[in-house]
This record gives sequence, C-alpha cells and structure tokens, in this order.
Amino acid sequence: MARLRPKNEQSTLICVGYESPNVTEMNDWIAIGMLALVGLSIPLGMMVVSYLIRPSVPETSKRATYESGEIPTGGTRIRFNIQYYMVALLFVVFDIETVLLFPWAVVYQDALASPEYGLLEALGPMLLFVAILMIGLAWAWRTGAVQWAQTRTQAASDTDRQ
Amino acid sequence: MEGAFSYAPAIAAFPLAAFVVALTFGKWMPRKGAIAGIAATAGSLLFSLWMLAAVASGEVYHETLYEWTAGEAAGEVGDGIEFTFGILIDPLSALMLVIVSLVAFLVHIFSLGYMNAEGETGLPRYYAGLGLFTFSMLAFVYADNLLMAFMFFELVGLCSYLLIGFWFRTRSAPSAAKKAFLVTRFGDYFFLIGVVAIAATFGTVAFAGDDSFVAAAETAIADGDTLFGFDAQTWVTITGLLVLGGVLGKSAQFPFHTWLPDAMEGPTTVSALIHAATMVAAGVYLVARMFGYYALSPTALAIIAFVGGFTALFAATMGVVKDDIKQVLAYSTISQYGYMMLGLGVGGYVAGVFHLMNHAFFKALLFLGAGAVIILMHHEQDMWKMGGLKEKAPVTYYTFLAGALALAGIIPFSGFWSKDEILYDALIVGLNEPVIMAAYAMGLVAVFFTGFYTFRMVFLTFHGEPRSEAAEDPHPVGWAVKVPLLTLGVLALVAGVANLAPVAKILGVDIVFLEHWLDGEYGAVEGLTYSAYGELLAYETGVIGSEQLTILVAAGLSLLLAFSGAGLAWKLYNVPEPVAHKERLGSARRTIENNYYQDEYQVWLARGFTLPLSRAADRFDQTVIDGSVNGISTASLFGSSWVKRLQTGIVTNYAALIVAGFIALLVFLGVYGGWF
Amino acid sequence: MAVFQLAEWTAMAPALILAGTALALFVFDSISPHSTNRSLLAGTAAGGALASLAVAVWFIVAGVGTPTVDGGLGEITVLSDQFVVDQMALYFMIIVAIVTALIVVASYDYLVGHAYQAEYYSLVVLAATGMSMMAAANSLVTIFIALELASLPSYALVAILKDNRGSVEAGLKYFLIGALSSAIFLYGISLVYGATGHLQLDNIAEVIAAGDADPYGGLLGLGILMLIGGFAFKTASVPFHFWAPDAYEGAPAPISGFLSSASKAAGFVILFRVFTEAFPLGDQMNALIGFDWTVAFIILAIVTMTVGNFAAATQNNVKRMLAYSSIGHAGYALIGVAGLSADGGELVMGAAMMHLLVYGFMNTGAFLFVALAEHWGVGRTFEDYNGLSRQAPIACAAMAVFMFSLAGIPPFGGFFSKFFLFMGALEASAANTAMLAVAAALVVNSALSLYYYSRLVKALWIEEPATTRDRLARPTGLYAAIVVAAVMTVLILPGFGPVVDAALDAAVAALG
Repeated sequence: MARLRPKNEQSTLICVGYESPNVTEMNDWIAIGMLALVGLSIPLGMMVVSYLIRPSVPETSKRATYESGEIPTGGTRIRFNIQYYMVALLFVVFDIETVLLFPWAVVYQDALASPEYGLLEALGPMLLFVAILMIGLAWAWRTGAVQWAQTRTQAASDTDRQ
Repeated sequence: MEGAFSYAPAIAAFPLAAFVVALTFGKWMPRKGAIAGIAATAGSLLFSLWMLAAVASGEVYHETLYEWTAGEAAGEVGDGIEFTFGILIDPLSALMLVIVSLVAFLVHIFSLGYMNAEGETGLPRYYAGLGLFTFSMLAFVYADNLLMAFMFFELVGLCSYLLIGFWFRTRSAPSAAKKAFLVTRFGDYFFLIGVVAIAATFGTVAFAGDDSFVAAAETAIADGDTLFGFDAQTWVTITGLLVLGGVLGKSAQFPFHTWLPDAMEGPTTVSALIHAATMVAAGVYLVARMFGYYALSPTALAIIAFVGGFTALFAATMGVVKDDIKQVLAYSTISQYGYMMLGLGVGGYVAGVFHLMNHAFFKALLFLGAGAVIILMHHEQDMWKMGGLKEKAPVTYYTFLAGALALAGIIPFSGFWSKDEILYDALIVGLNEPVIMAAYAMGLVAVFFTGFYTFRMVFLTFHGEPRSEAAEDPHPVGWAVKVPLLTLGVLALVAGVANLAPVAKILGVDIVFLEHWLDGEYGAVEGLTYSAYGELLAYETGVIGSEQLTILVAAGLSLLLAFSGAGLAWKLYNVPEPVAHKERLGSARRTIENNYYQDEYQVWLARGFTLPLSRAADRFDQTVIDGSVNGISTASLFGSSWVKRLQTGIVTNYAALIVAGFIALLVFLGVYGGWF
Repeated sequence: MAVFQLAEWTAMAPALILAGTALALFVFDSISPHSTNRSLLAGTAAGGALASLAVAVWFIVAGVGTPTVDGGLGEITVLSDQFVVDQMALYFMIIVAIVTALIVVASYDYLVGHAYQAEYYSLVVLAATGMSMMAAANSLVTIFIALELASLPSYALVAILKDNRGSVEAGLKYFLIGALSSAIFLYGISLVYGATGHLQLDNIAEVIAAGDADPYGGLLGLGILMLIGGFAFKTASVPFHFWAPDAYEGAPAPISGFLSSASKAAGFVILFRVFTEAFPLGDQMNALIGFDWTVAFIILAIVTMTVGNFAAATQNNVKRMLAYSSIGHAGYALIGVAGLSADGGELVMGAAMMHLLVYGFMNTGAFLFVALAEHWGVGRTFEDYNGLSRQAPIACAAMAVFMFSLAGIPPFGGFFSKFFLFMGALEASAANTAMLAVAAALVVNSALSLYYYSRLVKALWIEEPATTRDRLARPTGLYAAIVVAAVMTVLILPGFGPVVDAALDAAVAALG
C-alpha cells in the first residue's frame, strides 16, 4: 500500500542544498505558513499595484460588470426544470455501473481461467448488481421519472394548439 | 426440663396474639377483648413459672432465633457483626418474666372491674394496647442482645403513649401522652447512640456469652486498649452513660422524671402496669441486665447511685404536697426507682433487683387500690374529698394498707427488707466513698418523707369523716377488683421472705434465697451472676464497728425515720376533720407545689432554646436549601432558553456551528495531544 | 441449529433479508405504481423485519459470535473480513429489526391517505438494511457504504410528506448537514488510511501496534477526530446534532422514532466497533495521538447530555422535546465509549448497549404516541395534549411508562440501563477520575430530564383539556405498536437477565 513519506525525510527534501544542521529541525508548519503568506500576497499585491497605477474614470459603462460585453439580466437564482436533475441522476447511476463494469471485465477472463472461481462466482455478483440497478431503472421508468414533465403554462399551450 | 425452653417464645407470643385478636375481633367479643387478654397473660404467667422452675432445676437458655442481618464490622475490636433476635433466660430474666406476666395478668382481671364494669368505650383498643404492651415488655425482658432490647424498649414507649392517651378526647390525656413520648424519646436518643457506639466498638451487641460486649469490654480494659481515642475504661463509661440516657428517661429519673406524674392521665390500670412492671421497670431492668458492663466503670456506677439517691429524695419531697391520690403514687414511684438505681449504683445488684420485685408487687397493689378507691369515689381523685372509707371498703383498705406499709418500709413488710438492703449496701460503700455517702444520706432522708406522704395518703383517704357525698355512699366494687388486690396484698406482706439478708447475717441463718438465685446457685449463664459482678466491682466496703452493728445501725436508722414520718402523718392527718398544713412549709411550699419548676425550665428550654434553633434551621432550609434548589432550577431553565437559542433554524448557521465546534475540539485535542 | 453448515455469506442473512424485502417492494411498486394496498405493503415490510429479527435471534441463540472456547461458533467473517458477524453485530441487528417492525406496523395507520406508500416502506426497509450492515461492517469502506445506505433513504423518508413544508424543509436540512458530515467522515477515513495504509479495522490496529504509524501521530489523530465527527452526526451528538431537532420535528413521527432509535443505535455500533477494533486503548495508542481518546468522548458525552437535556427542558412542542431528549440519551450512550480503558470497560460498554436496546422500545414508543396524536390531529404542543388520558387511557398510560422509563424511574427498563451506566461510570472512574464528572453529569441531567418528562405526563393525566374534542379513533396498528413497546419497556425488567448477559458478552467479546 502506498504510504506517505515519514516527516523527517520530507523536511530534508524541502531543505535540499542547505547544509546547516539546524534547518532540519525547522518546524514543518513554517513552510505551510510561508505558502499561505505567498498565496495571499500575490493577489493582494496585484490588486494593490493595479490600484496604484490605473487611471480612475468613473463612468456608467466602465462600472458595468462586463465592460463592452453582455448586458446582465436578472439574478442567477432561477429555477431549473426538475427533469434535468432526474436525467442527471439516472446518468450518474449508469456511470457508476460502468465504472464497476470495466475493471470487472478486465479480470473476468483471468478469473474464469483460474481454478478457484467458477462461472457462478465470476458472473453471479455482476448479474445481481446489474439486476438491482435494473429494478431501480424499471421503477423509475414506471413512476414516470423519464417522462418529460410539462410546466403548467406548457401544458396549457399544448391544449391550446389542439 | 430442657424442653421447657423451646416454648419460651410463646410467653411473648400469647399477648401478641391477644393484641391481634382484640384489635380485629374485639368489637364483637363479649368482654371486648378482656377474655383474650386474660387468657393470654395467664398463659404467659404459667409458661413464665415453668421457665422459673426450669431455671431452678439448673438449666439456662440462650439461643439465637433469627439473624436478620450480618456484616463485616468496622469495629475497633472484633470482626464481623450479627444482628439477631434471640432469647436469654437466666435467673434474672426468668424472675422478671414472672413478675411482668403476673402483674399484667392481675391488671387484666382488674380491668374487668375498672373498665368494663364502668362502661368505658373503646375497650378493644384498650385491651389491644395492654396486649401489645405486655408483649413488648416480655420480649424486652428476655432479649439476648442490646439492639433487640432497644427495639422492644421503643415499642414499650409507643404502647405507653397509646395507653396514656387512651382518653384522647380530653385535653390533658393526649398532651400527657405526647409529653411521655417526647421526654422518654429524648432519653432514648442517647440510648440509640449508645447502642451504635457499643456495636461499632465491640462488633457485638450480645448480653451474654464469650462474645458479649461485656466480655469484650472487660478484655479491652484488661489489655489497655485505646478505643476511639479514649482509653478503654473511659470509653466504657461514655457508652454506658449514653445507654443510661434511655434508662433515665424510661425509669423517670431526674431530670427526665417530668413525664411520669402527667402520665396519670391514663386509666389507673395502665398506671399500675406502667409503674409496677413495664415501662418504668424497663429502665432499671436494663441496668440490671447489663450490670456487668456498668460494673466495669466506677464512674458510671457512682453517677447512677448519685442520680438514684437524689431522685429518691427529690421526688419524695414533691409527693408530700400532692392532693391527688394518683399524683402521690406517681411521685412515690419516681422515688422508689431512685432507690433501685441507688442500690444498683453501689453494686447492690441483689438489693436492686429485690426492690424491683417488691416494688412491682406493692406498687401494683397501691395503684389497683387507688383504682378501687376511684371506683368507690365515683371517679373522684382528690384526697381532700375522701375520708372514712375504712369501714365501707375493708378489703380495699387493708390491702391498700399493706401496700402502704411496704412502701413506707415498715418492718416486716416486703418494702422494708429490700429498701433496707439497698441502704445498707450504700452505707458500707459510702464509708469509703464520699459521693456514695451523699447519695446514701439523701436516700435515708427520703425514707422519712416516704413514710410521711404514704400515711398522709392513707389517712386522708380512708380515715376520718367522709368529706363528700361520694365518700359517704361509695360505689361497690366486685370480685374482679378484690381478687387482684388480695393476691398482691399477700405478696406485699410476704415477698420480703425471699431475701432476709439482715436476719441472715445477724442470726447466721442461710435464708438469702434471692441472692443465691441471682448468684447462680441453681443455674445461670456464666458471667451473669452476682459474684461475677462482685469481682468486677472496684468498690471498697467498710463497716461501723462490726458487720452486725452496721446492719443494726442502718436498719434502725431507716426504721426510725420511716416511723417518724408515718407518725407525723398520723399526728397531722389521722383526725376526724384533717386540714392542710402546707402553709407551715413557708416559702418552700410554692417551690415544691410547682415541682421545683422542673416543667417550667424544660418548657423554657423548649421555647427559649429549641424553638429558636428549629426556627433557624427552618429558615436555613427555606432560604439556603430551598433557595439553592430553586436557584438551580431557575438557572437550568435560563440555561435551557440559552441553549435553545443555538438552534436558529437556519441551516447555514448549523453548518457554521458544526465546523466551529469541530475546530474547537480539534484545537483543544490537538494542543493537548501535541499534534502540531 | 446447524448454522455453520450454511455458506459464510448467509451469516449476513438479517441484513440480506431486509435488502430482499426492500427490492421486493420496489418490484411490486414497479408493477403496480402508486399502490395503496396498505395491508400488503406494510405486511411485507413487517414480515421482512420480523424474519430478520427471527434469524438474528436464532443466530445468537445458536452461538454465532460466542467464542469457540465457550462452545460457540465463533465470529463469522464475510467477504474477506469486510463484514464480521459477532455477538455485538447480532445484538444491534436485533435492535434495528425490532424498531423497524414497530415502525412499520405503526405506519400502517399513519400513512392512511398519503402518497408514495410503497416507496415509504421500501425506503424504511432499505435504511434498516444499511443499519443492519453497519452493525456488521468491519472495514472503513464497508462502514461508509453502510452508513450512506442508511442515510440516503433517511433523507428521503424525512421529506416524504411532500406537501408538508415542514417535512420538506427538515429533509433538506438533514441532507445538507448529512452531506457535510459525510464529507468530514470520508476525509477522516482517508487520513486514517494515509497514516496506517489500511482500511480494515484489525489491520489498522496491527499497524499501530507494530509502531509503523508512529511518524503520523497528528495525522492519525485528526483522522480519528473526523471519524468521531461522522459518528457524532449519526448518533446526533454535539456538535453534529443540529439537524436532529429540525429533522425529527418535520419528519413523519414514525420516521422520527426510527431515526432516533435504530439509526442512533447503528451509529453507536460502528462507533463501538471502530474504537475497540481499530484503535484499542493502550500505551502505544496513547503515545501515538498524545492522549487517551476517551478524553474526546468524555467531553462529548458531558456536553451532549447537557445540551440535549437543557434544551429539552423548555420546549413547548412535544416532538421537539423528544428530539432533544434523544440527543441527551446519545450523551448517556456515549458513556459506553468514554468509560473504556486499556484493561476494562466491559461493564460500561455493556450498559450502553443495554441502554440502546431499552431506548429502542421506550423512545420509539414515545414517538409513536406522537404519531398517534398527529393521526388524531390534536396538535403539537404540551397544551394540546392536555387531558388526553380521558379519551385514550391506554395509550396515555403507555406514554407515561415511556416518559418515566426515559427519565430513569424504577421499575421500568430505563432505570436499570441508566443505573448500570452509572455503576459502570463509577467503576471506570477507578482508571480515569474524569469519569466521576461524567457520572455526576448523568445524575444531574437525569434529574433535570424528569422535569420535562413529567411535565408531559402531567399534561396527559392531570391537566384539564383546553378544548373539547370529538371521540378519538383507535387505529389498530399504531395502538398495537405502542402497547407492545410499553409492555416491553415494563417486561424488560424481569427479562433483564438475558439482556444483561447478551450485552455484556458482546462487550467482552468486542473488547477481547
């Protein structure tokens, strides 16, 4: 099993090139602190620098979110049709099924060839797994999960057309 | 005779059965439970006599019947403790069983005349009370350990409470009952501590045998042990005095005597039972029962003797100014039990028990006689309204006279012999011990007062001219009254024969039966004999000239004083129209009439000390205890509303709080565990 | 009783039976969607739960899990040690099956007129499957999968009253907090794996014992703490308890009972198993993470019982009060882990297991009474419950039994389990004096809890009804479940001997 390197080795790696014996005693957290400091200081520095050198011309089109671009309309908190989620969920189910099927398929021949496992041991569990998923799919189908539901206005316009 | 003892439990069981029967079926029984009571006490008497005979034949009985709990003792001495119910029948308890059951039997018979014939209501309750009283006392008498004795001692106290308050619809009876209960309970409180102390010290509460606390205490003193930070003898004295608290309360010794005169509010038959054989006798009997323990402590004995002598005189002086016939008898009881304590306190074990026996007979006689007088007088108790009953009620008169002569200590009535022996024992010890001498002197002076008040009572009641209508036309009394009186009258006259010690010593004849009896000539439990106690006693005795001379001096002195007291009473009151002579007492009169303000100071103690203390305790309870309880609940509810506020209902807050809580835990544990 | 002749995987039968029942319900619903054949649906679910119960009892009687030296069959491992069926697993499978059966029977009446009946039952049974698997899971992966299998249907169940805003809101809150907790838990698993290189509990213990994890003390400690977070969510312990009051209040009452009894018990079984199997106390372990991990549980136990009981004290809504009381009881059960020590703790852990069993009856019963009240439509607050005993004396008597048992009043079952917990805590204080504080907190909180439990009894039995009510219905299923729960709460006293034995045996085996 993969293992992280022990602490001590890690610190020597970071401190490659330094011969001072004290450095190896340095606390690991200093490095993390430094990283955080640098990570924060780069964006802050950029903002400060741009603030210092840019000209300031307060004007309506300059203050728009997307200068010279799309004109924003409304908020992002709008309702999506539930059907998107239904389809996404079903997709995830089959996605996972596939993820499990691939490695199984890879070892299937070897398993059959080995004397320890027969057809039942190699094929049975996967059939059971797929069967359970099939039951789920069948249930979803029967209860109308894949039917494209209509909003009230759509339904109303449908009747109008007829 | 060995088989006899297996029936010992029946002695106490009979009255208990009578109690149950009277309580449940009394209402429908012809004599409202009296028959059951008489049958039960007769049975107890017969069995007690059988036990007496068995002991006389040389057997004793000491058996544990039931162990109700046992455990590892954390005592100073001994390991493991058992609490049991057991029976100890030795010469002392066998004798006491007979006395108690005899008196109880006679009281039951007398009650037929005193209660049934007078048409009292609530009789089943009365007979149930008597039955339970007799049961408790009998079980107390043959208890083989201190704890069992304590339990029945308490039961005796409860029964006296019930019976003193029998006429609970009056104002005075319930109050007297409460007083009796509270005062004796105060003493019993010390008794209880004493029992616990003895159990905790010696890991045993048995009276007899090698594993008794007496034997353990003796060993501890001999080994020079230190018990609870005291040397063994001091500790024995302390525990002995604690137990003595119960004794003083029950036996109405100074300063716990105040309940007894008030207890006259109960039926006279109950007074007879309380004074002669049960309640009051229980205290002195307990001292006799654990005499070996007190014998180890000269200090405790001296205190017993002094308190006894003082009480004898103190109560006798109060008796001389009372007008109520029962009050006089009440104070005489206190005084006589003072003598018994004096006798036991000077090491006169035989003398004390002897007087206990004689007193049981003559005091029962006097109370029943007084009961008869009260019947004759249509329930009038004031002696100044009596007079001239001598001719109209000869049986009552002569038996009462016998009792009075015994009480006053006139030779040859039983009281003389026992009282004389007590005083003699006190004298010979007192010659070397000034404290005992003082006690003796008080006891001796009390003889004079005893003679005086006794005969004042006799003359006012029976002699002279009738001073009221009731006295002129007395109510007749029946056989149920006369039979007990005659029986006890004979006993009051002859019971002294049991131990004619002075005669024996002067004439050199061996007629001290009781001494032999208590010394285990016939049969005894080892260690519980007079001579065994004698070895433990530290008293030196002295004589005036020779032993015979000392006996004669002692007897002569007490007789002289008794006669002079009686004679003074004869001179003052044996006249056709006696008048009160109290004013001659001068300034002392008020003090004595008010019983030396004993009640007043006890009431003052209760009002001035106990009441403020309990008020303060109540205030503490109300404010500090209740306050903290209420405070806690208020704080809890306040805390609750605060905790409740954490739950805002906004899920983002929850997530934030969860993360914050998790980080708090992480920081705490991380720092604690040195993860960083 | 020849259990051992069956294949090894059949040892998981109690969970498999539940899984099969759930699938059967799904199949039925696929064939006949939106069925309202309540008898068939509830009957199938109840049958599955009872079959699972019967098999689990049979196994435990036949000696599965009893060490072979004692004449038992030993613990049975399934799927290369991914699952282990021992006494503790069977004990908790029994609890789960009992609660599931009670809930299903009670739901028969509760669900009258509701949509999604088949889904409801199949989700209940599916969640029960997850809980049953949690009882036997022996590796961090199977633990996580089982935990999610139990959690996901629970989210749906809480929100199953789709037209009820409270129910939907509760479901969403439960789901969000659940997702957060799962994330923390999963991160914890990854850290433990990083530090030790193993997911299987006994292998983790071996690595720690061999000293191979020594360089990663802080990493492992953080991982363990995150695992604790996951368990705390499942058992509704502070600070992961925030979902509980809202979810219990909004959920259908039988589901509240199910979550607060069975789900909590399942959370505790993995807690017990992980900490006794993977991180057994000892000098090695203490040196590794710097302290004795019972410290964390001592803190959690005290804080959880205090927060739960204090918050319950002033609630006006009965269901919410019960929700907080269930948090308080999680605190009591945590004593079972807090009192462990390197060479002991069977008594205190056994006591916690007993408490969870008794709690399964009394708490489920209490929530079912609330379900009954919702069924009657009498309202939700204490005042609304005033004087209900006039119309429904039997149910109210049962409720009084539940309340007094929850408060720990003798002679009900709750007293004995609490008493054992207290004794166990005192015994554990010999090794760890902080347990005295836990014992004290137990006593103080029990005293406080009596206040609000008896308030409800007072409302039911003493107060005058605020409004006049019509005659109340007597739904058979709900009544039956409540009465059974009450009878068991009382009868568990004479029958306590076997329960004590079973719990102690299981604890000894788990610690051994």
